Amino acid sequence: MTTQDLCEKLNLKMLSKFSHKEVNGVFVSDMISDVMAGAKSGNLWLTVQTHKSIIPAANLVDVAAVIITSGKDVPEETIELANKFDIAVLSTDFPTFKIVGELYSLGL
Amino acid sequence: MEIKKIQEILEASVISGEGILESKIEHIYASDLMSDVLAFGKADSILLTGLATQQAVISAHMAEFKGVVFIRGKIPRDGSKDFAANHQLVLLSTNFDMYDACIKLENSKTEKPSPSQKLIEPKKSEEILLSQDFKIDGSDFTSAGSVSTEIKSILKKIGFDPKLIRRIAISTYEAEMNVVMHADNATVTLSVTPQYIQVIFEDYGKGIPDVEKALQEGFTTATDEMRAMGFGSGMGLPNIKRNSDELEIESEVGKGTKLQIKFLI
Amino acid sequence: MSEIKNVWEMTNIQFGFIVYEKCYQTNEMRTYFSLEDNPILGDRYREGKRHWTRVENAQSFRFDLKNINTGEVVKFDDLMGLMFCSGCLPDCELAVLQKKYEAERSMLIVAFGFFPQALTDPIPKSKLDILSDYFNQRRNHNRSKIIVASSTPIEDISRCRGDFLHDVDMLSQEPPPKERKQIF
Ligand SMILES: Nc1ncnc2c1ncn2[C@@H]1O[C@H](COP(=O)(O)OP(=O)(O)OP(=O)(O)O)[C@@H](O)[C@H]1O
Ligand SMILES: [Mg+2]
Repeated sequence: MTTQDLCEKLNLKMLSKFSHKEVNGVFVSDMISDVMAGAKSGNLWLTVQTHKSIIPAANLVDVAAVIITSGKDVPEETIELANKFDIAVLSTDFPTFKIVGELYSLGL
Repeated sequence: MEIKKIQEILEASVISGEGILESKIEHIYASDLMSDVLAFGKADSILLTGLATQQAVISAHMAEFKGVVFIRGKIPRDGSKDFAANHQLVLLSTNFDMYDACIKLENSKTEKPSPSQKLIEPKKSEEILLSQDFKIDGSDFTSAGSVSTEIKSILKKIGFDPKLIRRIAISTYEAEMNVVMHADNATVTLSVTPQYIQVIFEDYGKGIPDVEKALQEGFTTATDEMRAMGFGSGMGLPNIKRNSDELEIESEVGKGTKLQIKFLI
Repeated sequence: MSEIKNVWEMTNIQFGFIVYEKCYQTNEMRTYFSLEDNPILGDRYREGKRHWTRVENAQSFRFDLKNINTGEVVKFDDLMGLMFCSGCLPDCELAVLQKKYEAERSMLIVAFGFFPQALTDPIPKSKLDILSDYFNQRRNHNRSKIIVASSTPIEDISRCRGDFLHDVDMLSQEPPPKERKQIF
């Protein structure tokens, strides 16, 4: 499954400019320390955090994309930074628990 | 859904609330952001979180949740367990990560707990094991804080729990700094009984006109000079209140102030 | 390409808090890792001549790296945290480097030790290289390289506006503020 498939199937908004990537799993956490300690390269990261420091964290652990849930507003500086480092920032109005169900039914 | 069912599905261990696993929950909420839990969490939910701290447990209680599941094998430390036990919250710990835990629950698919506070009744015996007096000279800033340092080292030698000592060190420090900044001088009495530790600060000074007001966070009459030294944020008395089990303040304007601070053992 | 195997893995992971304490009389700052359950901001106490006030608790974690080929464990308990250099001060050596790396799509990450030890005894370069290796070897996407550098070139930490990869304001019952509070 690729980030492109996900965007189409889940109707995700693409907030940053990026190249599509293969997704190999999902990591759910709102804590940067959790992500740095546990997420794997190619994971999809689900969070409600929008501060720009999520971008270097996402790049460090090499996630395939970040999905911001619950329709949180994402600051412009977060998106600008994401553009610089080819990090996909996607957004949905659904809360985390709901999106997890959808991702699972897509086979992730 | 019964919490017991969730425990089985997530193969979770029970950290607290063994006796109330039969209570039912209506929703599942997954988040690590406590402001979100309070803003969007619905009553009678269970919280899934990776935030293994007391604040997570307190927030869950405030949002009227029935329990908290800590993911990826996280276990909060003792304070959380006590809080949960006192407020009828179930605490579980599962080895699954957030994603897998959500999926497991999603795949299986759903009465307010009576918050009966159990207050610990201090026993009646008043046997005093230790009693010691100290003096604070209010005009001497260079030695300010030394009485609290001394009390701390006495309690350390006796071998009290470091967490308790920390609370006492912080409270006595604040009280001592208040004497230095707002009063002239004081006598401090430390007493230790089998049930509690008590520290009394009795100062001679201008007194507090409105104790209620002085206890509010942020209330201060400190000067700019005091602020430059890092004091005067109006946090001293609230810090004492938060860190102690009992706080009594008597004050007479123009005479002085008496603070009685108690810590249960 | 990208045939390098992942040699390092994280081990001994512990979650806790980075506590920042400040002495307002001397303007000194000290930091340490704490496993406490219920950290409280504004706690004050005296130790020796200093009056310490706790000005920030940042949630973080500590870890060691293990070489899965040799079993060797390199301890990282002296690592306070990683910071993304935002290039805030044009004359800062690290900002210049960040600019250069960014043009090559690489990212500069600054490693901090605990204060005040880090001022005299920074984390050795050999360890920072291991950290860089760890991050780069586990990458599948060749979108950018990670370069971990020491914080020593930062001349005046109080002017630095980089973003620590820590969790702050998570415990707050208020929605997080737009701007992060500046600690140093
Ligand atoms: N021992 C005292 N004698 C007279 N007034 C006091 C005394 N202790 C507190 N006060 C009054 O109560 C106010 C609030 O005290 P509190 O310790 O909460 O804050 P503060 O001392 O002003 O600032 P901070 O403790 O944050 O440095 C003080 O500003 C002062 O007016
Ligand atoms: Mg005070």
